Amino acid sequence: MVQAEAFFGGCTMKEIFKITIALTIACLIAGGVMGGVFIATAKAKKRNDHLNTQQTLIGLLGYSSPRPAPSDLKLHTIYRYTIEEDAGTHSGYMMPVMAGGKAEYELLIVDLEGKWVSRHRLGLRSEKAMDEQDRKDAITHVLGPGPTVSYADTVTIAGMDAKRRAYVIPGKFPGYKNAIHVMVALNPDFSILGLEITAHEEDPGLGGEIEKEYFKNQFKGKAFENIKHLSVSKAPLAEEHKRFLETKEWGKRALSEGELASLGKKYQDEDIHAISGATISSNAVANGVKRLVRNFAHRMALLDRVIRENHVEAVF
Amino acid sequence: MPTAPKTHSQLFLNGLLNENPIFRLALSMCPAVGLSTTVINGLLLGVAVLFVQVFSSCTISLIKNFIHPRIRIPTYTLTIATWVTVIDLVLAAYVPVAYKAMGIFVRLIVAFAIITMRLEVFACKHDLAASFWDGMGMGVGFLFGMTTLGAIREMLGMGSFLGYDVLGFRPLLFFVLPAAGFFTVGFMMAIFNYVETISRRRKRGGRNA
Repeated sequence: MVQAEAFFGGCTMKEIFKITIALTIACLIAGGVMGGVFIATAKAKKRNDHLNTQQTLIGLLGYSSPRPAPSDLKLHTIYRYTIEEDAGTHSGYMMPVMAGGKAEYELLIVDLEGKWVSRHRLGLRSEKAMDEQDRKDAITHVLGPGPTVSYADTVTIAGMDAKRRAYVIPGKFPGYKNAIHVMVALNPDFSILGLEITAHEEDPGLGGEIEKEYFKNQFKGKAFENIKHLSVSKAPLAEEHKRFLETKEWGKRALSEGELASLGKKYQDEDIHAISGATISSNAVANGVKRLVRNFAHRMALLDRVIRENHVEAVF
Repeated sequence: MPTAPKTHSQLFLNGLLNENPIFRLALSMCPAVGLSTTVINGLLLGVAVLFVQVFSSCTISLIKNFIHPRIRIPTYTLTIATWVTVIDLVLAAYVPVAYKAMGIFVRLIVAFAIITMRLEVFACKHDLAASFWDGMGMGVGFLFGMTTLGAIREMLGMGSFLGYDVLGFRPLLFFVLPAAGFFTVGFMMAIFNYVETISRRRKRGGRNA
């Protein structure tokens, strides 16, 4: 008894009991407040994230506040799902299709070799399809509870005058420490229109430089053939090339259109120049983008063939 | 230390000058040294601390009679953590622009010594109004300290102010490194001490005459 008392600093059992209860209540109250605020702000946070993504997307397509996007630019979103059933693994493309003069989401199921499996009407308008839970509910509704449906990614197709102008695809791959999240904009021929690093945890000043213009803009304008064999060189970046890449930083003293075009042609086929002291991060981005673009081009070709062969009236 | 009741303005000025968290109490030195490399960093961290300090002081002063004395420190930490989380979430949801700039600083605040110290020394013994003004004073004092440090270090280290190039060259690059934070804090402490000594001498002189 004496020993126990010394151990608990002279507390009686009753006191310990009281402290435990008080601490538990304090923790519960704190947890309740934090949880309540989290629930209350969840919706606004989601909206902000969506706006953020939208802004990055428009920026990648080459529009900004001094040069706003034209009003007839249409953005169509395709959600890709992986569907595992007894018959095997299929890809489900949830995309807007014209039905009676209105665009509605339909689910197009294709197997991994690009063969047609099935097509389901979802009856979702595009505003409603923005919410992940609503999408999932709609899919479960048409497919039944059997297959396991998991979300893969969201691809945006920008179109103007009934013609495709660009694809914007998200991606993530391991960097030096944690995953690097990117968004890549592609021209219809799958050459790169722009690269944006949306989130990363590389070391500031070293791997963190991947978000700087002189690195990410090196990907701009690379042709699809080039991307397939994209490699990283340790050769230093030429001063003239660096100036060409840092369009935002130079601002007023920017190069003229003619100079830009000639420099762009000159450096178009070069390898990606690694950031000094951050070869792993540079390699990670180059290889990640390479794989991302290659896989997407493959999937898009399959999807396009299926759409053409089966006369699906896709809006894009 | 005088324990006589103070007016609210005295409480406010106390935190700003006599007991300035950085220059007189030398508390929360890690952020003061590590993050005060530019004016804007100092300003943002200062604003974040001001909010957390005021909210936590008020909360503790309201619930001081219900806190079991043996678990008061865990309760303070919980209170601070709750307010930090709430501010973090609210900023992320409603002021995304500010969150982009301040997000990383807000989460750091849970571990700041100055806030816990003010709760233990002041807020758990005084009423709501006094705690509010004490929190304001300490928060603004911290803000003032961080901004001053940031201004000195940015000017000397990078030759700029608020990101705008002022001098056109970098006088002492060394000042953006963490070690220079200690030098700057030391110099500021010296100035504070010097001013205090002089004002004390004047007071004494005035009384004699």
